[in-house]
Amino acid sequence: MVQHRKKEKEAFVKKVLALLLVLVLGVSLAGLANGKVTNGKVGIVLDVGGRGDLSFNDMGFKGTDQAAKDFGLQMDVAQSSTAADYLPNIRNMARSGNYKLILCVGYLLGDALKTAAAEFPDQKFAIIDSVVKAPNVMSVVFRENESSALIGALAAMTAAEKGYKYAGIVLGIEIPVLYHFEAGFRFGMDWGLKKYAEVTGKTPDVGLLYTYTGTFSDIAQGKAATEAMLAQGAVGVYNVAGPLGVGDLEAVTEAHTNAKTTYGPPYYFGVDSDQDWMGNGYHALASGMKRVDNACYNAVKSVVDNTFKGVVLSLGLKQNGVGISGVSQLANFIDFGIAGGAVKADNFYNIIANWALNRATVPAYIWDAIDELDAGILSGKIVVPTANTSDEMKAIRAEYTLGAP
Amino acid sequence: MTDKDRLTKNEPTPDYYLRAEGITKVYSDGTVALKEADLEIHRGEIIGLLGENGAGKTTFTKILSGLLPPTRGRVISPRGHIRFKSPREALEFGIGMVYQHFALVGTFNAAENVALSHEHPFNRIQLTATKKKLEGLMEESGLHVPLDVPVEKLAVGEQQRVEILKVLSRDIDLLILDEPTSVLTPLEVDELFSLLRRLREEKKSIILITHKLKEVGSVTDRVVVLRHGEMVGDVPTEQASTQQLARLMVGKALDKESSAVELQDKGLPRREQERANVRSKQAVLKVDGLTVKGNTGEITVEGLSFGVYGGEIFGIAGVEGNGQSELVEALTGLRLAKSGSASINGKNILGLDPREIYMMGVAHIPEDRWRLGLVLPFTLAENAILGVQRWEEFRGPMSFLRWGKINQHVRELMDRFEIRATGPSAPAKSLSGGNQQKLIVGRELAKDPQIVVASQPTRGLDIGSAQYIRDLLVEMRGKGRAILLVSADLDEVLALSDRIAIMYEGRFMTIASPKDLDRETIGMLMGGVAVKEAA
Amino acid sequence: MSQELTGSVPRKEKFVHRTLTGLNPAIESLLAAAVGLIIGAILMLVWGYNPWKAYVALFQGAYGDSYGWASSAASGVPLILTALTFSICVRAGMFNIGAEGQVYIGAAAAVTVGYFVLPGGLNLIVGLIFAMIGGALWSLGPAILKLTRGVNEVISTIMFNWIARFLTFYLVAFVLVDPVRGEKTISIPVSARFPVLVRGTDLSWSIFAAVAFAIVIYFVLWHTVIGYEVRAAGLNPSAARYGGIKSKRTMLLAFILGGLGAGLAGATIVMGNPPTYAIISGLPQLMNTGFDGMAVAMVGRNHPIGIIFASLFFGGLTAGGRTMQFTAGVPLEMVRVVEGVIVLTMAIPELIRVFRVMRSSWSTLMNVLKRRRSA
Repeated sequence: MVQHRKKEKEAFVKKVLALLLVLVLGVSLAGLANGKVTNGKVGIVLDVGGRGDLSFNDMGFKGTDQAAKDFGLQMDVAQSSTAADYLPNIRNMARSGNYKLILCVGYLLGDALKTAAAEFPDQKFAIIDSVVKAPNVMSVVFRENESSALIGALAAMTAAEKGYKYAGIVLGIEIPVLYHFEAGFRFGMDWGLKKYAEVTGKTPDVGLLYTYTGTFSDIAQGKAATEAMLAQGAVGVYNVAGPLGVGDLEAVTEAHTNAKTTYGPPYYFGVDSDQDWMGNGYHALASGMKRVDNACYNAVKSVVDNTFKGVVLSLGLKQNGVGISGVSQLANFIDFGIAGGAVKADNFYNIIANWALNRATVPAYIWDAIDELDAGILSGKIVVPTANTSDEMKAIRAEYTLGAP
Repeated sequence: MTDKDRLTKNEPTPDYYLRAEGITKVYSDGTVALKEADLEIHRGEIIGLLGENGAGKTTFTKILSGLLPPTRGRVISPRGHIRFKSPREALEFGIGMVYQHFALVGTFNAAENVALSHEHPFNRIQLTATKKKLEGLMEESGLHVPLDVPVEKLAVGEQQRVEILKVLSRDIDLLILDEPTSVLTPLEVDELFSLLRRLREEKKSIILITHKLKEVGSVTDRVVVLRHGEMVGDVPTEQASTQQLARLMVGKALDKESSAVELQDKGLPRREQERANVRSKQAVLKVDGLTVKGNTGEITVEGLSFGVYGGEIFGIAGVEGNGQSELVEALTGLRLAKSGSASINGKNILGLDPREIYMMGVAHIPEDRWRLGLVLPFTLAENAILGVQRWEEFRGPMSFLRWGKINQHVRELMDRFEIRATGPSAPAKSLSGGNQQKLIVGRELAKDPQIVVASQPTRGLDIGSAQYIRDLLVEMRGKGRAILLVSADLDEVLALSDRIAIMYEGRFMTIASPKDLDRETIGMLMGGVAVKEAA
Repeated sequence: MSQELTGSVPRKEKFVHRTLTGLNPAIESLLAAAVGLIIGAILMLVWGYNPWKAYVALFQGAYGDSYGWASSAASGVPLILTALTFSICVRAGMFNIGAEGQVYIGAAAAVTVGYFVLPGGLNLIVGLIFAMIGGALWSLGPAILKLTRGVNEVISTIMFNWIARFLTFYLVAFVLVDPVRGEKTISIPVSARFPVLVRGTDLSWSIFAAVAFAIVIYFVLWHTVIGYEVRAAGLNPSAARYGGIKSKRTMLLAFILGGLGAGLAGATIVMGNPPTYAIISGLPQLMNTGFDGMAVAMVGRNHPIGIIFASLFFGGLTAGGRTMQFTAGVPLEMVRVVEGVIVLTMAIPELIRVFRVMRSSWSTLMNVLKRRRSA
């Protein structure tokens, strides 16, 4: 009896030991997996959007990750669950002293970085889409006017070609950054209409509808503004208000449903990231992109190359900092969407096919014209104006009236 | 006497429907609710089950209907020994019970409520079938209820009919009704009784639980009386006199001497011994034409007029649920009176809130010490100031509580009222029932009141604590205070009171000196039979 | 609740005892935390992260040095206040879920001091008062609905949270908006900010405001008549009525005190947290402060002093979670899961207790309804 019980006890002990062994193995294996040999570390701090936002954070992550792989660095990520995490996240990384560069992705981190940069003067920082003036901070901003010019030209020429009276642009709160977009869009439309007259010999009658909704978060406002523009005869709307694009696209999609059309006008024009995949690629014609991935990649590269400086870098078409979306970006973003759960994996080819069919509704001569504008800006022959103050904006509005009296 | 003796002595009659043999029920807290109760039920008879509160009537019927298992004993039918695991099994066997508190879903109509007790209540076909069946049943039984109206919109009598229909729809043979008339108007009672008679003609058996002697006489064939868990009588109705039943229900008809002995045995003081001759000239509490509504809006206290004098204990006896609680609540500010007046030393108290009434010198020992008297998770000290928390003595600047003073007060209470606890910061729930009650009594008496309203002050207490609290009440009387004692313990009321009122359906049947009342009379008055009628 | 459940403690009815009885279940909390840590470790193991490394990072980040302590405390400051909002109402017998919305309103009210020019520290005081009044006013809505129309406070406070959220969205976007930077409101002027307490951290003097408020609440609840009445009515409404306590008054008081706390929490966030000192569009720094406070209240056993410690613990999870991400490579989502598990296991004992107490009042309510129905 006693013997029996002893055996049972032994068996139990063995089982426990086995379980412990498995646990210890698991721990050490997990440890091994993390222990890569590297040339150093680079840190990236994301805002509350975090991974899976299918925009800034995903692009920043991708560019930094690529750079880390290319230069043999280890990348550490600090996501923020609230805005109160921004400063601590930057500080924590800076305090460790292990990072060759700490990349802050997004203008929301600007205030926090300003404070942290002063506290850690020996740490190299970079910030994307915001300017922090400090000797140890590389600020990377984008010439959104250039990408917006391309979208403006595309929108205006399509409107003229399809017989629409307007091209629309839905903006967020009226702040100087958005003037870049409006100025570029106006210039692009003007250029496009001239081009249209030159190619077809017809005089186009296309005007601009624009509205500052006063919000970056109220999606319903985006939808309402878009509906109003479409009702007035807009060929499509350019979203310059981040999340409001969802509402814009909703309005466009509803217009198609009502008209029982699948492709063609009205169109949606995306912003910041490649939003062409949204709505399964049916109605998003093109996006004016900020290449956050390239910006991040180059920031990391500058540290490796020892070319890092505390300067403001303004990236335009030439520096590959902005651009109009193409098929390769689309594939990337569909992948982000799949990873984030927003897109089903087996939808990949569908979206690309839809997108291609939709693009095919715009005649080739227009795409050629866009390429021409692109090349002109790249070569410096064409200079896209921009505005940083409301006075400058007024001057541009006066110059490119686009139908307004 | 062993079980075997009992069975040989009392053979089943051949045509019985159900037999309960030696049913004993001991609850988990040790309360013996039933002792060796026997009952034989025949087809086509109405049995009146009579008894005071706590006599075991409800326990007995709950065992018959499968809601409770008996501790000992068995229930047999001609088909053999039966043991129900649930009321559903009992229903399937043919036993249905209608409880005092209806189990109806207010927003459902009658048909839906009836369907709820069936297998697939929300199957549409089933619902239609139920409705058909109900219509037939209503035709047969004469029990008419609107089927499409939510039951919460029905009158209480109609709701009861829904409950009865619910049970009848299951083709039952034995119908048990727990105090069915307590919520009905006289007209509704008549309708109910004629229904019961019809059911009897259909050879159904009926058990009618009641404490009203009159009802027993008007509808039953047989009366079974329970007292303290024992079957003390089983007589055909026509042979039973109201006096006899009253006596059985309340206790043996004792002569004065043996009564005194029994009281001594129970540790009760003999009122003659401690009578203090200090009754005041003026009534401390004066009640005139007081009418109070119950929770459900029915009149529970009807035009009561009485006075309680300093130096006397005015006892209210009666079966619980006859308006005693509502009366006490109205007098202590917990319930609004409908009409009438009540005053303390000439000052009106109706419409005041409880604290204002305490300020006028009223102490209240509530009937439910867990629900009303104490905040159980609170400490002794916290409980000791409940109601007097705003006294200047306990309140410092900025209404800070002076815990030092309060604790000192509690220690005094503990000494004076023999409250056994580890200290002022012991939680009240850690105290025994007796000590909890002493805490309440101590707190209330420490107010030095003009009048003490004591409701069931010794309920559920051990003999020692009960006696201690009775002594305190007598002591208060000796100091010339007025005491209004409401108790379901008849012995207690008889032993302590200088005057007794017997309350029945919101009215006093009589106000008399205990010396002038014999138990038989009391029993009849409690059962709603006026003495003249009986004679 | 726990204060009453600790059993009888002989001979020590002194001040200290009254203060500390609520904290007695420290061992219970430690055990619960251990269980949470183990479950969290298993989860991380399953998903291929190193739990040992993760927990070392967590504790290093939270309490490894003065910077860690300060960061933890800073994260805990608003939680002390929102936890109190919930606890006061639990003590009064109600489930007030409204701290979240009251924080938003409080924060928005605090931001309005940016429009004033007042001398020195007066700005700070005015901001605090505005925030507290804002929070309290917002809590009056559900309070009035409950006291006059009997609307269940759980439902009304949830609704008020949504109203507050969109109202604040609106205020941030259109009314209090920074004319130069549209993504945020105007910033609180320097004179109205809580000075930073530990240089190089987020910890500001706001912690003293929060702790002071907790102590005031402790004294109100356990050492004043009105607090006594609030607790009595919360534990046994019938007995309270018997004791001459007007439960409508105690409930109103609980709502108002809670609103003051939540409003103050909003103020500590915008006035005490570097670097922006403004509400950012989308309210990312305010979001969940009220809800997290409910968890803190549970871990802190609904006792003001317990809540101070629970907030420090909770703040530690936040601060440590940040380092856990990049030193142990555990992604934020996993960090939140592990934190959630730990908080849940620690809250369970008190949750059970609260529901037990509430259930008795619930069943009383049900009985009343039943009786009314049979009328």
